Amino acid sequence: MRKQVPLLLTFCAGMIPIVALFVPERHVSTVSTTLDSWLIIVAGFALLLGVVNVVQMNTNKIRRKTSGWPYAVVLLAGLAIMGTFGFAGAFGGFGGIATRLDGTSTPFDWLYQNAFLPLQGTMFALLAFFMASASYRAFRARNVEATILLIAALIVMFGRIPFGEMVTKWFPLTTEWIMAKPNMAAQRGIMIGAGLGAASMALRVIVGIERSYLGLGKGE
Amino acid sequence: MNLERIMQIDRRIVYLFVAAGTILPIVFVIGLPVSITPPVQMAFDRMEDLDPGDVIMVSFDYGPSSAPENAPMADAALRHCFSKGIRVIVIALYPLGGLSEAVNELNKVVAEFPDLEYGVDYVNLGYKDGAQAAMRKMNENIHEVFPTDVRGTPISEIPLMREVRTYADLELCFSLATGIIGEWWANLVNAQFGLPVIVGPTAVSAPKYYAYLEAKQMAGLLGGLKGASEYERLVLDKYPDLERVYATPGLYTATKGMDVQSIVHLIMIAFILFGNVVYFTGKRRPRKAA
Repeated sequence: MRKQVPLLLTFCAGMIPIVALFVPERHVSTVSTTLDSWLIIVAGFALLLGVVNVVQMNTNKIRRKTSGWPYAVVLLAGLAIMGTFGFAGAFGGFGGIATRLDGTSTPFDWLYQNAFLPLQGTMFALLAFFMASASYRAFRARNVEATILLIAALIVMFGRIPFGEMVTKWFPLTTEWIMAKPNMAAQRGIMIGAGLGAASMALRVIVGIERSYLGLGKGE
Repeated sequence: MNLERIMQIDRRIVYLFVAAGTILPIVFVIGLPVSITPPVQMAFDRMEDLDPGDVIMVSFDYGPSSAPENAPMADAALRHCFSKGIRVIVIALYPLGGLSEAVNELNKVVAEFPDLEYGVDYVNLGYKDGAQAAMRKMNENIHEVFPTDVRGTPISEIPLMREVRTYADLELCFSLATGIIGEWWANLVNAQFGLPVIVGPTAVSAPKYYAYLEAKQMAGLLGGLKGASEYERLVLDKYPDLERVYATPGLYTATKGMDVQSIVHLIMIAFILFGNVVYFTGKRRPRKAA
């Protein structure tokens, strides 16, 4: 039963949207859209699972005093504070989670504006510094492939800024051609490959060949 | 000169150049010219084809990490809609701050158009988890996905939403996206349900959207800050009244951001070229006998 029931559920959950796509029958599409509604709820619980996982991982870190454990304390404190105001706000407490109707900030919004936003912005902005340093050290025309990549990158970087057009109008035109043709062809290849991979993996899960998600031990 | 030492330049010197290239254009605004690329022109033209009173969906699928790129797109798109009389349904599908970004940008732009009425000209339906599932379900019934708006008002009591139940009642979706959600609008909502989609992704993820654009699965593309600055330019050229908004001191715009990005790009190009010159000079120099 531990094996058959999840396999049957997976088969049904996987097959219904596929059938609904090809069979334009009202009863079939009703079942499929009902499944979509359940999926939204399941996705919500997946988020909750993530929170539980973060709490477990970090409490273990603090208990064992492993390296960097004070950061775990900060993370859990942030989770608790934002979580409390967010949860309360979702049920109408503290005026909600967005700004109030009079334009003043709710506690959740205040924390978002003054803690979460600058912290996330800082993390992303740091990339510019690391990329500049890394490109100086590592972006070398060591062989033919690296040279092609380097030339394409320089043209795109130069064509994306007004200075490129000031030098010659060919920079933005070549940039757009690189993006719309060679880049697009490569992206399509990657997407088709990834799509075929995802479809074959989905089929393996639906028909029960791939069972690792069940979390069963060997021989079960 | 010792080439090895130049190659091993202290990374803090590189950081210093990047910091100077970032801070100086913010203090001394250059106002570099903006040229228009075809993907942004397509997006603008598609929006211009809409009639006053048409309804579009603007989906906030980004968080604060990419807000400097996505927020000016959102502002320009909303200003375009409100200047043209297009009605807007705002949603958020990105969990890490999508809703807060939607509230911030909507509040900011709506304040610039005092005649707008909430629930009639625009509405904010808030955040919904499970992006793909929500997108699929909205084709069947938007009211079931968002039973209330962000203020908790039942959706049936919102005049604008009485006219809109499914994608068929919308003219277009404009997704401001970081990550994969923008892709889902193209390869799920457009491909399966036929709703025209314009995506404004971050510059780093813009290249993959060209595949959808060339396949006509997208009606336009605003790639990163550059795309946002182009859209701003097009909106300003078409609606000169908005100059009063964009001239507001301290207002962050994509055009101002492009000054910074242009200078930092130049610095990076210079470092890359310099690094390669040093590399090849070192290769050609005969090695000393051991």
